[in-house]
Amino acid sequence: MDAWQYLLVLAACVAVTLPLEIAGGARVYRRPKALLATLAPVLAVFAGWDLAAVHHGEWWFSPRYTLGLRIAGLPVEEWLFFLVVPVCALLTYEVLGRGAGRWSRAARRAPR
Amino acid sequence: MTGAYTIGAVCAPAAVVAFELTTLRTGILRRGRFWVTIAITLAFQVPVDGWLTKLSAPIVLYRPAAISGARWPWDIPVEDFGFAFAMITLTLALWERVRSVSKPKRRVGIWSDQRGACDERGGKTPAAGAPEASGETLP
Repeated sequence: MDAWQYLLVLAACVAVTLPLEIAGGARVYRRPKALLATLAPVLAVFAGWDLAAVHHGEWWFSPRYTLGLRIAGLPVEEWLFFLVVPVCALLTYEVLGRGAGRWSRAARRAPR
Repeated sequence: MTGAYTIGAVCAPAAVVAFELTTLRTGILRRGRFWVTIAITLAFQVPVDGWLTKLSAPIVLYRPAAISGARWPWDIPVEDFGFAFAMITLTLALWERVRSVSKPKRRVGIWSDQRGACDERGGKTPAAGAPEASGETLP
């Protein structure tokens, strides 16, 4: 069970923020093209940094708390980190953006 | 004191901010909503990153020479907050950029049921008077 720790931490991040999309009015998962266009450069830059740092031995990952599946030397959990964390931030940002326009504009559209 | 990660954690936020100001130019750094998102995200980073870096059972381990050694709160290397700020800021700025590029299509009316188009324009209106803001939404 220890090996699942990192993955479970990420799963918790997804679970906690998912209601923002389902009930909070954020539209992030439902904009897959925009999401992909945003995440791709972020992944390239920050996973690139991560790869370089691991290569130079600046940090590393516990074999005990990761599944042991590696892609290009990084645990699969670490790759997922670069998708999960930005999505959490985008969901937060989008929900905050719903506040001002919600009552004035959404209410006008309600009869539809 | 000045490990490689320490240097990176200071330079990365500066580089991302410079990239936004000179290239992406979404104006996101002037929006309260951005800073509130940063505050919330960094607050949630504490339990998550705290779990990953706790010295009693670390999931991520750092070479002592690579970091400053300052760990707060709990055992989180302070450098992680620079990494997170840079990553989140780049994410949000790119998202704004991508969304603003795709917005004109929606104005035509094909996607008139997409609430984003109206909300975003409404949100930007107060800043329209600012000298640099006027050109920003038109790539």
